[in-house]
Amino acid sequence: MHMTKTQLFENLRTLLQDTFDIDPARITPEARLRDDLDIDSIDAVDLLVKLKPVTGKRLPPEVFKSVRTIQDVVDALHSLLDESVAA
Amino acid sequence: MLERLERGWRVIATGISFATFGVGGLALRLLFFPLLSLLVRDRPRRTRLARLAVHHSFRFFVGLMHFLGCLDYRVEGVEKLARPGLLILANHPTLIDVVFLISLVPNADCVVKASLANNPFMRGPIEATGYLCNDSGPELVEACIASVKAGNNLIIFPEGTRTPLSGPMKLQRGAANIAVRGPCDITPVTIQVAPMALTKGMPWWRVAPTRMKFNIVVQDDIRVSSLVEEAHGEALAARHLTERLHDYFSTETQRHAGA
Repeated sequence: MHMTKTQLFENLRTLLQDTFDIDPARITPEARLRDDLDIDSIDAVDLLVKLKPVTGKRLPPEVFKSVRTIQDVVDALHSLLDESVAA
Repeated sequence: MLERLERGWRVIATGISFATFGVGGLALRLLFFPLLSLLVRDRPRRTRLARLAVHHSFRFFVGLMHFLGCLDYRVEGVEKLARPGLLILANHPTLIDVVFLISLVPNADCVVKASLANNPFMRGPIEATGYLCNDSGPELVEACIASVKAGNNLIIFPEGTRTPLSGPMKLQRGAANIAVRGPCDITPVTIQVAPMALTKGMPWWRVAPTRMKFNIVVQDDIRVSSLVEEAHGEALAARHLTERLHDYFSTETQRHAGA
């Protein structure tokens, strides 16, 4: 399966809304996970678990240490899925 | 004149108390704990004894501060702490809150600021007691839950640091995450202090105008199981519980304030 970045973003937005009750209007590509959306490292682990069925692949926890914004997460997911297509 | 003399004495007495605290910490590290590890090979037993030693040291310290006239205190509901496996959450007005709480709990575990493990006066006790260090998020939550399940009474300040003198109280979500994911019911302890001293950003020698009075109340447990069922998922339950704890501690610590 190959998802565009837009699809990934929409999936992520739904997930954030369901899991953390975040107003979808606040979830923009530029929004920072920690500072703007109040997602801490404990939440990040939850998010990784919930992202797995969506992407079909497990994002390594290290990735979350280097991402800051929603766009970063989308990019990380996208390159992860690209790798699996290429492989 | 007499008042100024009394106030001056409290600066000296507080200094004596803290110096004693430092010397005590060093003595535990250099004498007591090495002896303990020689005599007691069994590690869980050694940890238990080390925690008991810290408990008694802190009881002595609180007694000393009271004896020297630095502070008065009143504790209510202490019998509720005589149960194993508690998650004890408290507000955090002063530097010595944890000393008070550990003086009331013989089998206390607590989360220590990682940098304190490098402090020469505190390193010994922190290593020997196996207190948890706060340098990791999700792993720390797991470790805290394991500690409570093992029967320790885990003391946590949900604010993560001392309450600022001005502005609202702000809670981290870690404590609520422990409660929700355990799940562990919460034993709240409210600490009221008047007049205020030893707060964040205030040096220890700036003593209060009159002797500090600590009013420590062990409250009834807060059950968390229903909360987890109501919320959709643990992350949301932890958010709701954090809000509830915020309201709880803000209200309870304001009650009869100054009385």
